[in-house]
Amino acid sequence: MSVPKLEFPPFRLPAEAEALRGEVRAFLKETLPRVKKTEDRFSSWNTPSPEFSRELGKKGWIGITWPKKYGGSERSFLDRYVVTEELLGNSAPAGSHWVADRQSGPLLLRFGSEEQRQAILPRIARGECYFSIGMSEPDSGSDLASVRTRAEPVPGGFRVNGTKVWTSGAHRNHYCITLVRTSGQHGDRHKGLSQLLVDLKTPGIVIRPIINLAGRHDWNEVTFSDTFLPESCLIGNEGDGWLQVTSELAFERSGPERFMQNFYVLRELVRVLGRQPARRASAILGRLIARLWSLRQMSVAVAGLMQGGKSPAIEAALVKDLGTIYQQDLPEIARTIAESDATTEEDMADFLDIAQYATMIAPSYTIQGGTTQVLRGIVARGLGLR
Amino acid sequence: MDRDSRDMMLETAGRFFTERCGREVVNGVERGEWPAELWNEIEAMGLPLIAVPEEEGGAGGSLADMLALLRLAGAHAVPVPLAETALANLLLAAAGGAPKLGPVTLALGDLRLSGGRVSGRADRVPFASVADRFVAIVDKSLAVIAKANAKVMPRPSPAGEPYGSVAFDNAAVEFGGPSAVGAERAFELGAAMRAMQMAGAADRVLATVVEYSKQRVQFGRSISTFQAIQHMLAELASYVAATIAAAESAARDADEGGLAEGGRFSIAAAKSQASEFAQRIAAIAHQSMGAMGFTHEHILHHYTRRLWVWRRDFGSETFWGEKIGAAYARAGPQALWESMSGSKYAA
Repeated sequence: MSVPKLEFPPFRLPAEAEALRGEVRAFLKETLPRVKKTEDRFSSWNTPSPEFSRELGKKGWIGITWPKKYGGSERSFLDRYVVTEELLGNSAPAGSHWVADRQSGPLLLRFGSEEQRQAILPRIARGECYFSIGMSEPDSGSDLASVRTRAEPVPGGFRVNGTKVWTSGAHRNHYCITLVRTSGQHGDRHKGLSQLLVDLKTPGIVIRPIINLAGRHDWNEVTFSDTFLPESCLIGNEGDGWLQVTSELAFERSGPERFMQNFYVLRELVRVLGRQPARRASAILGRLIARLWSLRQMSVAVAGLMQGGKSPAIEAALVKDLGTIYQQDLPEIARTIAESDATTEEDMADFLDIAQYATMIAPSYTIQGGTTQVLRGIVARGLGLR
Repeated sequence: MDRDSRDMMLETAGRFFTERCGREVVNGVERGEWPAELWNEIEAMGLPLIAVPEEEGGAGGSLADMLALLRLAGAHAVPVPLAETALANLLLAAAGGAPKLGPVTLALGDLRLSGGRVSGRADRVPFASVADRFVAIVDKSLAVIAKANAKVMPRPSPAGEPYGSVAFDNAAVEFGGPSAVGAERAFELGAAMRAMQMAGAADRVLATVVEYSKQRVQFGRSISTFQAIQHMLAELASYVAATIAAAESAARDADEGGLAEGGRFSIAAAKSQASEFAQRIAAIAHQSMGAMGFTHEHILHHYTRRLWVWRRDFGSETFWGEKIGAAYARAGPQALWESMSGSKYAA
């Protein structure tokens, strides 16, 4: 049969990576009680803490794979994998540096000018410089090629007009890598797009909050009105924005953040069920753990394939699809067993608040970084259906 | 076996299964026929002895080699007790016994050993009605009982395979010796084996449905071009992927950690995962194939019905979920991440 085979060859993280895991655990055990605030109890990669990011940077664990000359540690991609999953597994407030470490830094390393790399990367690695992603617009969600924000070439740089939305952390971050049209017309789709390195303090940029349904201010609307940006802001070549942005989106679609963003729900569920839950509650809990373990096996297998020089695009998309749906199932299943099996009324009330919050956040998982429907399109193409 | 030998073994077996385990053979077993010729050929290839040491007349393969073969067997709905016999022979050889020819199955249940004789009952024994011998594990002993000394109460599985209950009444044993594994571990190894068979069947379901969707024309075009179908099949692929990844990881851990202890948590998690998604896989597959896949003529049901049966064999998601959940609850919330990331019951 001509159907492509899905393979997830079991992969064992190497000994160096496991040794690093021990170091990261010891560091987190020591650091988290110091930097975490009460409201950060259930934090994850979207909970900012510059203090924590700087501590992590001191250990050399931000930009861990980057060249030493840019502040990196020249360690393997698998070492990075371990750091990432330990941050999530221990609910570290990694939100300040997260995007810069995961997406913006690697993009600059790959496409940025030498000047940009030298100016920015060491600061990211120290945990001092934070990034937002300027892709979406009011009329451009999944259809990113339809962006309207325009950067007119003018002497010495660009004059930018347009609006970006859902820009996470723009109100507290330093930079935003912004996808703009530098040439051609709106209908030209992916031709004529470029990426700009935008200092969010630039005059002519207005940042307004977009409050999400859970009442959190994480997103923003970022408006450019005749904003002048110097030529040195261009990342890579003029007109290569689409190529760059698609490679950026592919960065670790299958990473642990795709199934461990609300890991705290599972941990708190174990707490609320007590040491000897009823058989039925144990079974449901165990099934949730088994599903998460399986996702981790998938994700580690994809990491192994990538380390081996392969590009397992379908497998990675499958991890995100399944992982984000798991994260939506989790608070829902947890809520129903907690209601019947919590050890005390007080614990139950406490847990149901957590589950409620997790439920409100959950719709975002299957939207950000490629919606379920976009991912299924990628998988369908991989299966030869389109 | 080294990598090349295993690949060669799998290629040969795959070709053989494709040629000799067609629809008619599988349907025949369902009608109560024993495919003696097929079984003889499988024995001639040495497959039931894959994990028996060479000095015992086996192929000298590892547990991982055996599990890889069984994934392939699952992908062909091989309707004879290859999995059961291969595992029983492995355990028999590990207990110092000499495997003989003929289909064997494992009898695990409420059994007692007294004065070298076995009494008690085992239920839902796969291929009970066609096995020549039963390998029973009672406490720390392994006993081989000939079918003449057992009472079999046939109860075919919903996939039409000759399952049944087996009762022993002070039954004489052909061979008895100290077992390398206890009954609980034997059951666990059975779960690893079924998880891999399920991975094979799941993979086959996906391939079957994808192929069908490209050929089936409705409204003037192949149904694979409809976005509704594309998204269903992409979702199906995600469940199949999880089943494969979990089963393969468990097989690796079971092998690397040794026959007695290897991969205890991974097997539990993988079988829970495989069993949990069996229904989702079957549901999407049948929905995508419409009435065609609901007929007895089509082969889809060979795989979906086995998934439905295998998800209960050697522990369902409820059984294994309870084991995992109870252990993790006992260890408490702070141990959760360390245990899970270490593929262990408790950190």
